[in-house]
Amino acid sequence: MAERTPERLVRLLGLVAYLDRHPGAPVEDVAAHFGVTPGQVLKDVDTLWVSGTPGYWPDDLIDFDASSHESGVLRLTQSRGMTRALRLGTREAVALVAALRALRESVGDALDPAERDVLASTLDTLTAATGEAAATVDVQLTVEAPPEVVAACRAGLREGRRLRIRYVNASDNVSERDVDPWQVLTGDEHSYLQAWCHTVAGERLFRLDRILAAQVLDEPVATRPGPARETTFRPTEAHDRVMLELDGPARWVAEQFPVEETVELPDGAFRVVLRVASPAWLRHLLLRVAPHVRAAEPAEVARDAADAARRALARYEG
Amino acid sequence: MADALPPAERLLNLVIALVNTPGRMTKEQIRASVAGYDREGSTDAFERMFERDKETLRELGVPIVTVHGPAHGDDAGYRVDLDAYALPPMELSAAQLAVLGLAAELWQDQTLRADAARALTKLRVVGATPSATDAVVGLAPRLHAAGPALGPLLDAANAHQVVEFTYRAASTGEVRRREVEPWRIIASRGGWYLVGLDRGRAAPRVFRLSRIVGDVTASGPPDAFTVPADADPMAMLVDAQHGPERTAWLAVAPDRAGALRSRAVAAPDEPPPAPAPPGLDLVAVPYDRDLADEIAGYTDAVVVLGPADLRDEVVRRLKEAVAMGDRLAERAGGRDG
Repeated sequence: MAERTPERLVRLLGLVAYLDRHPGAPVEDVAAHFGVTPGQVLKDVDTLWVSGTPGYWPDDLIDFDASSHESGVLRLTQSRGMTRALRLGTREAVALVAALRALRESVGDALDPAERDVLASTLDTLTAATGEAAATVDVQLTVEAPPEVVAACRAGLREGRRLRIRYVNASDNVSERDVDPWQVLTGDEHSYLQAWCHTVAGERLFRLDRILAAQVLDEPVATRPGPARETTFRPTEAHDRVMLELDGPARWVAEQFPVEETVELPDGAFRVVLRVASPAWLRHLLLRVAPHVRAAEPAEVARDAADAARRALARYEG
Repeated sequence: MADALPPAERLLNLVIALVNTPGRMTKEQIRASVAGYDREGSTDAFERMFERDKETLRELGVPIVTVHGPAHGDDAGYRVDLDAYALPPMELSAAQLAVLGLAAELWQDQTLRADAARALTKLRVVGATPSATDAVVGLAPRLHAAGPALGPLLDAANAHQVVEFTYRAASTGEVRRREVEPWRIIASRGGWYLVGLDRGRAAPRVFRLSRIVGDVTASGPPDAFTVPADADPMAMLVDAQHGPERTAWLAVAPDRAGALRSRAVAAPDEPPPAPAPPGLDLVAVPYDRDLADEIAGYTDAVVVLGPADLRDEVVRRLKEAVAMGDRLAERAGGRDG
């Protein structure tokens, strides 16, 4: 897909101002700094080379030293007054300041003192530069795990050492596992440890609030981190298909879970098809929406939930 | 077609021209001299393109000012206010740029993701290149996408413009048009919320963005309202999500409900209302609003000892589940017979 106009324009303007500050910067370094390929930087330079003030005679144009260009470095010889760094737009400021604040509130305590200082100084600098712009958005990220679990995970990550964790899964089974920590994914609902689990010989996401204890081991990690994963459940064909017909007040089910299809019914009710990985999870869901369930297929999922509820009620009687 | 430059290059030339103009440039001068504008096309097409370009540049933070000529009836002219153009003087270390890169990763939404990426490009001009050692080790923040309503709501909240949208109420499923003064947009616990004054009800309300049906439109002029000094949008949302802080006493089957056990309060202030039945463990956890749902989900692995309202809530949910089973079985039976 072609790059969008605003992104390219902002980089073109940024390149001129950056090269004014860094004369003779190698193309490779500039590319790494702006997170694009060296080929893209050269394309941008070609564009800047023919851009300038009306008239567009040689003296009107942004210009580079051609000889240094051939040797793989960029030296600006005419900037046409474009040497200032462009300020942030309102929404741009909001996006970064709100994200920094969210980081500070959520993971600030889990950072080491040097990292915390960097975060604080960055936020101060940016707030000073953008004023009150960010007051319109608040982001609350969640790290609801015990602080000692978060600290152990980060120590394992920092030192490249294996962790031994006690983990309770969605079906309420507790297990002890040795894992290579890859990274902590901090979400707005739950946070996860992405890791290689030696016990099952596979990559796993562990919800931080379900890690009951974590201990840093002496063994170094033996696997290389994979890419960050989506933290939301991705259903596959292998999971059981369950159809539920629900009343309007249970609308959140369709909003919160990855449903395969939603069909609106008269009087505000709706029908959803879900893929379910764990029977315990489905039973839990049915208990939450019980008064609003009009139909369920297969029928035994509702029967199973009702039977479990009946056993629980017996505990309260007598 | 010598003039068919890509839009980014046309805009670049427009910015350079408006920065370097000694006084101002009128629309006619821009059309006649700035590379990328079509001199031969219709005036309407040029006007539309120029208005769009001005809007794009303003959104990107390029301050285009309108300057009126000294003589009455002169065309308005334009220039870029260079003082307002520039980022305040600052230098960012490699470590600071690394933190900003991490922060920009937070957004999953197309709109804010693009905004954050552009902001990062701008800040890179005054920053040093981060190396691997500058990375904040192992943290990767992620936020649920908010959907199409977020962009227009943000713009309206920033400009203090009233918005209109169609909303599906959670409690009743009722769908109605709302007119709202957008005060604050909040991402919290997996949801995106708008807190603002519902003009129809003349009272502050919390709206969930995912329940907005169709488009959000800004209606009316900017600066149409002020957020009351005593408004506390975050507190309103927290109220909507939580109750006051209390302790819940539970009897838990051995080796079960690990996630609940992990939240156990070490030393609660009050004694338990009743001892745990034989064979079950006594566990105290903070009592928040979602607790009854969670406990009911464990069915016979967790029994509530107190407080009484939590116990009643859980028992009610269990009875509802039994009723659901009976209701559905009856329907199935009716169909068979």
